[in-house]
Amino acid sequence: MSVKSLPYKEKHHALKDTRGDKIFFVVNAIFLGLLALIILYPVYFIIIASFSDPDAVLGGQVVLAPVNITLEGYQKVFQRQDIWTGYGNTIIYTLLTVVLALAVTIPAGWGLSRKTTPGKKFWMLYFIIPMFFGGGLIPFYNVMSSLKLINSMWAIILPAAMSVWNLFMCKTFFESSIPEGMLEAARIDGAGKFRTFFSIVLPLSKAIIAVMALYYAVGQWNSYFSAMIFLQDEKKYPLQLVLKEILIASESTVGGSGETILQQYRLANQLKYVSVIVSSIPVLCLYPFVQKYFAQGVMIGSLKG
Amino acid sequence: MKNMKKWIALLLLVVIAVTLTACGGDKKEEPKATEVPAATAAPAADDTAKTDTAPAAATGNPLIDNYGFQWADASAPILNEKGAQEISFRVYSSKNASALDYNDMKIMADLFDQTGVRVEWENVSESVYAQQKNLIFGNADNRPDALYHAGMSSGEIIKYARRKVLVPISDYLDYMPNFKKLLEDRPDIKAQLINVSDGKIYTLPRIEEMGLLQSPNLLFLNVNWAKEVINAGAVEGLTEDQLKDGLALTSAQMEQLLAYFRDHDMNGNGKTDDERPLSFVYNNWQGNQCDLYGMFGLNDNLEHRVLVDGKVTYTVQDDRFKEATNFIANWVDNGLIDKVSFEQSQDNFLANGKGLETYGAFYWWESETVVSNPENYIVCSPLIGPGGDETICVSNNPEVGTGEVILFSTCQYPEILLAYFDRYYDPVVSAQINYGPIGIVYEEERDEKGMLVQKPLPDGVTSDELRLQNAPLGIIYLGEYAWNNVVNMEPRAQLRLERLQLCAKPFVADSVKPFPNLQFTLEELNTLSNYETNLNDYIRTNLITWLMKGGVSDAAWQSFQNDLNGKVNLAGIQKVYQDAYDRYIAQ
Amino acid sequence: MQGAKQLPAAMKRQKRPGIGRKLRDFKENSPYLAMILPAVLVVFLFNYLPIYGVLIAFQDFMPGDKILSSETIWVGFDNFTRFFNDVQFWPLMKNTFLLCIIGFVIGFPLPILVSLALNAMKHKKAGKVFQTIYTAPHFISLVVLVGMLQLFFGRYGLVNNIAASLGGDRVSYFLESSAFRPMYILSSNWQDFGWSAVIYIAALSNVDPVQHEAAMIDGATRFQRVIHVDIPAIMPMISVMLIMSIGGLMGVGYEKALLMQTDGNLAVSELISTYVYKRGLTGVPDQAYATAIGLFNSVINVVLLIIANTTSKRFSENSLW
Repeated sequence: MSVKSLPYKEKHHALKDTRGDKIFFVVNAIFLGLLALIILYPVYFIIIASFSDPDAVLGGQVVLAPVNITLEGYQKVFQRQDIWTGYGNTIIYTLLTVVLALAVTIPAGWGLSRKTTPGKKFWMLYFIIPMFFGGGLIPFYNVMSSLKLINSMWAIILPAAMSVWNLFMCKTFFESSIPEGMLEAARIDGAGKFRTFFSIVLPLSKAIIAVMALYYAVGQWNSYFSAMIFLQDEKKYPLQLVLKEILIASESTVGGSGETILQQYRLANQLKYVSVIVSSIPVLCLYPFVQKYFAQGVMIGSLKG
Repeated sequence: MKNMKKWIALLLLVVIAVTLTACGGDKKEEPKATEVPAATAAPAADDTAKTDTAPAAATGNPLIDNYGFQWADASAPILNEKGAQEISFRVYSSKNASALDYNDMKIMADLFDQTGVRVEWENVSESVYAQQKNLIFGNADNRPDALYHAGMSSGEIIKYARRKVLVPISDYLDYMPNFKKLLEDRPDIKAQLINVSDGKIYTLPRIEEMGLLQSPNLLFLNVNWAKEVINAGAVEGLTEDQLKDGLALTSAQMEQLLAYFRDHDMNGNGKTDDERPLSFVYNNWQGNQCDLYGMFGLNDNLEHRVLVDGKVTYTVQDDRFKEATNFIANWVDNGLIDKVSFEQSQDNFLANGKGLETYGAFYWWESETVVSNPENYIVCSPLIGPGGDETICVSNNPEVGTGEVILFSTCQYPEILLAYFDRYYDPVVSAQINYGPIGIVYEEERDEKGMLVQKPLPDGVTSDELRLQNAPLGIIYLGEYAWNNVVNMEPRAQLRLERLQLCAKPFVADSVKPFPNLQFTLEELNTLSNYETNLNDYIRTNLITWLMKGGVSDAAWQSFQNDLNGKVNLAGIQKVYQDAYDRYIAQ
Repeated sequence: MQGAKQLPAAMKRQKRPGIGRKLRDFKENSPYLAMILPAVLVVFLFNYLPIYGVLIAFQDFMPGDKILSSETIWVGFDNFTRFFNDVQFWPLMKNTFLLCIIGFVIGFPLPILVSLALNAMKHKKAGKVFQTIYTAPHFISLVVLVGMLQLFFGRYGLVNNIAASLGGDRVSYFLESSAFRPMYILSSNWQDFGWSAVIYIAALSNVDPVQHEAAMIDGATRFQRVIHVDIPAIMPMISVMLIMSIGGLMGVGYEKALLMQTDGNLAVSELISTYVYKRGLTGVPDQAYATAIGLFNSVINVVLLIIANTTSKRFSENSLW
């Protein structure tokens, strides 16, 4: 076995950490640890606030522990039928978006990253321009209307299938992370461009595919505006829109006297925190699975002799 | 490797297949959406299904012959059976989140039985409506017949009217007996609706006159705490038996009370620093700080703009405003006013009142929603200022909502729809639109005075929940006549009215009036949109600094005035309002 | 005989370098074209088709008007001049620009630093846990975020309570102009840095370990390895992200600023986007005005992008085009 293919740990034993290294690791850990604390407290706060009496939350009494623990917020949310259809819809929309987006973005990123692509400069410009200039909501709506996509779930999936930011991230990744040597070897072996892409590039790109999948998935999971505009049928509402609608109940200015308005305010304030938990837990649970693909160096010793 | 390629290709195929079938599949849903517009499109000879094939209905005659269209008798059906089946209208409306779909509401079913006019409601939430409104107007080919809870501003109305997008309702007044009479009885309401450029009316109003909105604040004082101060001898000229509703304190007495609240442990929890002497919610539409300016004889409000003897007056141009600001700033400095009043939202304000008593005195619409024990608080008359002035805020919140309903000019039979909407202005119907239908909220039988009687509440639901579920709200006319002959005001409103009679109305001079809804020309609107935001920003940034940081010096006040007259163009804005008001009076 | 056959072939190749070569190149590289085609289609349908909407900026427009027809009312640059002449023009520009640039200066390096730090951690498992924690704030909605800010920094909020118990004064942070930008920017960075770090972490994870080994053999400390191996490895990604971020600099939305706005901080919290939004609510709704301002913003962003790209080309290998 050559030194190259030894796992990292064993190599470390071979060369001991210097004193400078030790200090570096400690400082690094402290820095990251402090950051984690700054993140953790507010997140923890949201969790305990979702279980607390809204008056206590608004009155600033909830600091380290929930006050007047109540499950009312969660009950109100999960009792509703539309939350469950919302979950279902969001899952479907997200899955479809990710599959479509990957199919569209990854190949395009590869194509743009190659120096010999015909009209490459033109295509770069083509993709950059819409990042800056947009026609606004009304023409967009009219286009969707002409495409007969109003009130269809494709109205929120199709436009989300391509994000220029993600595309350029892909392109950059491909430009710098796929070694020329492997491509050269494939060319010599007589593989065509498509074959090279599927057989060599994709397996090496697990990290970027994972990131793209994550970005697109979360982007779709968190979105509500398109749904608000294009979906008329409430049964098609994604989760975020349903949650938003529940919250809006408090801000309704139409009618109702003191008692109800007050009740609605209280509920909405509590639901704010419940909705964050309800909508983010599924995704956060998925994140560690995605992390697996950020594994160290997929190509150890892969250059054939 | 080969496997992977196969999987990817398969996946792509699946995606493409799904995409295509989905696009194709959705086409099936299209007929449902496009079917209805056929009912509202401009008269097209080959429309099938819903609408009849009668030519343009402007003359009304075929409507009368075929569908028994009548409008004069407000208690008889508008259309006959045939009309009820063949004619329908599509109305788009936002609705309260707790409300049922309007199509499911009993009042709508009742109205259909009574009139024979079928309305198909398309409801969305308020937030969705805010976005959809522009899109609805933008989608010229597929508009509904009308917008309900439309929220049209006067600028929108002028511009759309010019583009002939809206139905000029005033052309159809003959078909609307209730509304026509309303306009004749109430020229002031008529003047609020007339579009300046062509003298026509394009919207239906919402009128709920309870006399409550002009005075959004009431001063409440903690009785037990006040007693303690009296017993400690810390306040002059006040005795316990004076502590009743309607108490009129001088500013000096108030200062003494507040100072005592500030320094002592009033709520018995051992801490002397958690009492909040005086609280409000700064610049909120209710419970704001403007009543304090009444101590110096100013009827301030959130826009600082009020009508005095028919003249548009800005309180910030009055020197008394400076004195009042400095006086209030002094209270703030001394901790008599809780500084959090300037930054808290009304949610915070209401939440802090619950549980342990911390509020010594506060301004709000009422006390019952603020504190857990409202019986511990009395409502006070306005504070008497150092110079003997005693008046309050006069708010510009209008009781008449213009822009509530509009009809699109693509509506095929506007006269029928308008005759239908006209029924909403009958007081009995108005009451049901606003509070809920007979049979659910009200008894079938009236009482001996002919007023509607509330049914006992079913279990597990509050009166508000019942109301919100079953009442669509919207175009109503509830004025004095209605309150005296048809429906009782809700108890909460009744209570507030009594409090206002005691503590507010007697203290506002007759010459001081709030602004009605004014109609502007397009040029005036442009002036307003160019300058008014800036004016408000300018006043607000200065005012908060003054109130929280010790007041305004004479020099600063002078430079403020110079700016108002100079770059801020207060005079220009004032003229716009004056012209609009003069036009209004002339009607 | 063979020589005779070869010669014409060689001469053939030399005689037609132009079209034949180009066609062959095209045919050879057309797979790449096929790969970018779906993306081109999506962008065409949903970005280019509606783009004619920018013309609204030059019209007197109400929803429902046709944008390209004989009836459209053209007003040329009126909407723009109205904006430039607005009393608040310079304050708005200043507020927007400062907020964006300071936010960028702080917010851009942070994810990079964090990704480098995470990558350099000794305990990989702890690193992964930290990473997951860092991404949690991304899911907090704006309303909740501002609500929390108000709870923590309000007059009777957490920070003030701690300060008061230590004998300090309570400060109404939301009413102080000087507190607006820090709260806005730091809360945004707090929320986004973990999420933005993900792409850098992914790029770092693909660094060939051979390079690290070589550096270690040369005696480099971990810190030196960060400087000489890690950073160069993600430099292309950094450049691209830098250029794209600068190109989107002025595009800050109105919601967060509007939620955090109070009379006290109005002087710094009134941005172009909040101003336009508020104007849209009063009196005359003006689609065209808002579009004109959006177009103006876009032009500024384009200028910034070109500057950033050119600068990047001059100083490094990496640029967008």
